[in-house]
Amino acid sequence: MPMILLDCDKDIPERQRHIYLKAPGESTKDFLPIANVATIPGTLSERGCAFCGAKLVIGGVVKDAIQMIHGPVGCAYDTWHTKRYPSDNGHVPLKYVWSTDMKESHIVFGGEKRLEQSINEAFDAMPHMKRMFLYTTCPTALIGDDVKAVSKKVMQERPDVDIFTVECPGFSGVSQSKGHHVLNIGWVDQKVGSVEPEIKSPYTINFIGDYNIQGDTQLLQTYWDRLGIQVIAHFTGNANYDELRSMHRAKLSVVNCARSAGYIANELKKRYGIPRLDIDTWGFNYMAEGIRKVCAFFGIEERGEALIAEEYAKWKPKLDWYKERLKGKKMAIWTGGPRLWHWTKSVEDDMGIEVVAMSSKFGHEEDFEKVVARGREGTYYIDDANELEFFEILENIKPDIIFTGPRVGELVKKLHIPYINGHAYHNGPYMGFQGFVNMARDIYNATHSPLLGLAATDIRRTAKAKLALKEVA
Amino acid sequence: MDARAEELFDYVQERCLWQFHSRSWDRQENIEGIITKGIELLQGKTPAADTPKDRCFLADARIMVADFRSGFPWIKDADAAEIQQVMEQLAQLLVDVTVTHSKNRELSHHLY
Amino acid sequence: MSCEMTEVRAPEVNAHVKERAGTINPMLDCQPAGAQFAGIGIQDCIPLVHGGQGCCMFVRLLFAQHFKENFDIASTSLHEDSAVFGGTKRIEEGVMVLAKRYPQLRVIPVITTCSTEVIGDDIEGTINLCNQALKREFPERDIYLVPVHTPSFKGSHVSGYDEAVKALVKTLAKKGEPTGKLNLFPGWVNPGDVILLKSYLSQMGVDGTIFMDTEDFDSPMLPDKSINTHGRTTVEDLQNSANACGSIAMARYEGASAAKHLENAFSVPQILTASPYGIRNTDRLLQSISDLTGQPIPDSLVKERGIALDAMADLAHMFFANKKVAIYGHADLVFGLAQFCMELEMEPALLLIGDDNTRYKKDPRIKELKETAAFDMEIVLNADLWDLEKRIKDKTVELDLIMGHSKGRYIAIDANIPMVRVGFPTFDRAGLYRKPLIGYRGAMELAETIANTLFAHMEYTKNREWILNTW
Repeated sequence: MPMILLDCDKDIPERQRHIYLKAPGESTKDFLPIANVATIPGTLSERGCAFCGAKLVIGGVVKDAIQMIHGPVGCAYDTWHTKRYPSDNGHVPLKYVWSTDMKESHIVFGGEKRLEQSINEAFDAMPHMKRMFLYTTCPTALIGDDVKAVSKKVMQERPDVDIFTVECPGFSGVSQSKGHHVLNIGWVDQKVGSVEPEIKSPYTINFIGDYNIQGDTQLLQTYWDRLGIQVIAHFTGNANYDELRSMHRAKLSVVNCARSAGYIANELKKRYGIPRLDIDTWGFNYMAEGIRKVCAFFGIEERGEALIAEEYAKWKPKLDWYKERLKGKKMAIWTGGPRLWHWTKSVEDDMGIEVVAMSSKFGHEEDFEKVVARGREGTYYIDDANELEFFEILENIKPDIIFTGPRVGELVKKLHIPYINGHAYHNGPYMGFQGFVNMARDIYNATHSPLLGLAATDIRRTAKAKLALKEVA
Repeated sequence: MDARAEELFDYVQERCLWQFHSRSWDRQENIEGIITKGIELLQGKTPAADTPKDRCFLADARIMVADFRSGFPWIKDADAAEIQQVMEQLAQLLVDVTVTHSKNRELSHHLY
Repeated sequence: MSCEMTEVRAPEVNAHVKERAGTINPMLDCQPAGAQFAGIGIQDCIPLVHGGQGCCMFVRLLFAQHFKENFDIASTSLHEDSAVFGGTKRIEEGVMVLAKRYPQLRVIPVITTCSTEVIGDDIEGTINLCNQALKREFPERDIYLVPVHTPSFKGSHVSGYDEAVKALVKTLAKKGEPTGKLNLFPGWVNPGDVILLKSYLSQMGVDGTIFMDTEDFDSPMLPDKSINTHGRTTVEDLQNSANACGSIAMARYEGASAAKHLENAFSVPQILTASPYGIRNTDRLLQSISDLTGQPIPDSLVKERGIALDAMADLAHMFFANKKVAIYGHADLVFGLAQFCMELEMEPALLLIGDDNTRYKKDPRIKELKETAAFDMEIVLNADLWDLEKRIKDKTVELDLIMGHSKGRYIAIDANIPMVRVGFPTFDRAGLYRKPLIGYRGAMELAETIANTLFAHMEYTKNREWILNTW
């Protein structure tokens, strides 16, 4: 019975199809959690909405674009100050968000005028910004505002600006994932091919599915620079709007996050014949393999080997110091989806850590095929886990560390389990060679905090013991 | 089934992302393309690298073959026919698990 | 120092609404967020947000950012089919799932959002159906469902909070034996404020109920691993709010409508007092409590008041006088802190209120500020943070201090203006939810925080830092 019905789920038995405990000899053709289906209302799931999948995850990272959100103010407020993607132009993506601040009268009479006015105000307020992502939200989709028409009008009146419309209201799809899809396809449909890049190297790639969390993109960029590889576009870490319009000119699409951005890599393959090469960028072993593959594609293997050798010489001893001390630690990963399969084996190979439970918020069944193939036996693989399930699983597996978001992190702190921010990191970047040392260091520090031991101490017991001793004396 | 093919299969399952692309047809294409290049490399031939697609298959195949050679010493002693046979079995195993019997319900989605 | 004669003109207080239609960097979240904040203040309660999943997931994150705690809030997980056919079935399912899996659960506020208000789901009718289903399934349990209508396209998280507190009182309050207790509606404050308020009540010998009692939003790590992060206001507290000796609303726009409802429906007398920021406003609060309960103000509070004044007097004309301050956020907080600043001889030159409410323009505190301000003051209603940033960039206002929440942090950082975090959320400073801003002690501690922030700024900018070489 490898699909597991937890005690807390006895009243929602359909959850059994989402929770898998891997046993020896099984493969994904025997068992696979079902994924990317609607959440049961009232379960305290971790999922967000499609709008945030588009705006917060992908579009909002673009560093030179206004992020105009057509809807009530909350959709803008809530997808601002919730991510850690710096940029090299003064962190514009972290500093600003724009909303049409829809009010009741706009719901009743339509919000297109309001939108047009807000777009013009935004361009007027920051005249150096000439690019815009424009998103619909639940109410503006429901009332049927024609945002494309509005953006077309503005672009005619302001020939120097360019606007990209993303129509994926929060209620569409079952999770953030829908928003990734809509944005990917929309971008390739509307924008790719509309700018010609300056080609500076015979070796050109798109680097897809990396959002510069705590500088990941910028760290990896130093590798591409050393290899003489020109990144035509980063999708979308630290990216310019116009570089993303020129993705059609790369010779290879290198994909990290296949969940949020595999779509655009597929479309680039289909429409422009650019092959898609999937790699893992977290972990020494994986990063080296990724670099080898990219270099093999271009026939520059010796450059890759030189870079790997330098990086190993510099960082491997540091990683090994942590590996020595982290061996056998048990880890749970409760994040979006892909990090489950990116991390489960890399932390084992490079840090000696055993991943004993994983939950994905918005992964698809493809992600579970990957993670079950890579992950350990005796490990839980869960789709869209909810809070009571987390408690029960924790009781079963007793991890030493959990990679999850800050809110769940606060929850598990009370259970004396340290957490690391699995989405935005503690002190990253975590990608690449240096990044994985950062990650090991953060795990080491978290699992060796004296506070956890102190939290478990009941001072009443020690006090009583002393009192008793005193009485005896 | 050759136990050696099973060994290779276990390696590929754990290691290679190309077997898990989004749709049945591109999984099949990847498996076929990369295994074919792998066979040629293991047989000491020089695989074609004319198209971007060829070069991409070859990039994946090169790393896989290097790992095969270091992880499975028997492969160095295998002759061309043996390699052909064991690699074809590997391809069959991959297609069986990731395509034919995959429980992933999105593999045949009409959109990419 | 200039000796030029300048024409003397009367200072102006100019209150107006933001001129732009759109918003750049919003100051406040939307209504459902405020309703959720009210909901988590109740014990054995899980709010159910009827809308897309983001409407609840991000608000939970926001609370976690501010309080560094987790709060349980559920979603009906609205999807396309509901947008077409209506989403009431998802409320029914959500309520039953919550009731089944959380045996302690007693209250479920059903909080609407923009999408479900546009769709027009019949919340009250659905709640009736749910009540019948709950009776059948759990005949021995009383689970209270509370309809809370908070379309995101009206008001802000401030009005959403007010609406939810009112809805909770409206649904649950019922006439019974007089309790002799005093209802207190403190508004959107921190656990530190609630704890201080409780201490004042106890010093005055007053038995009070605080709506919502958020003391345990600051909760411990315990050896037995128990989790006590939840509101303390009980169903019984809400029911008995109708039987109190009186109500004090401490925030005009945050809970006062609940006090008014209790007065109208159950004749519970109420006093709306100025939000107790600063000495004078705290005096007013204590006098109001005394008036309603007949309890005298004890010596201990006279002493606390005196200590606060003593500390503030050390700072006011030496360091604070004529300092230009911008304050932004909730109306009750901003007006209250403006009054507080003026007690300290500072000049709150720019007040930015993050939403609009037809009642703001008639707020007596604006009138009071107009009467007392000896300097130009601009009050922007429905303001966003760009209103602040733009004025600083254009140098139409020269500021010595910014007071506001963390979402405006980069304005202060980029303009190199000292900033003191107040209000909600304050995630970029440690432990602020624990520190009271209200009351005498709050005033004193805030004044000292301001002073220390200015001192650090003097040191980092080498601007008369030597003055502190002897103080």
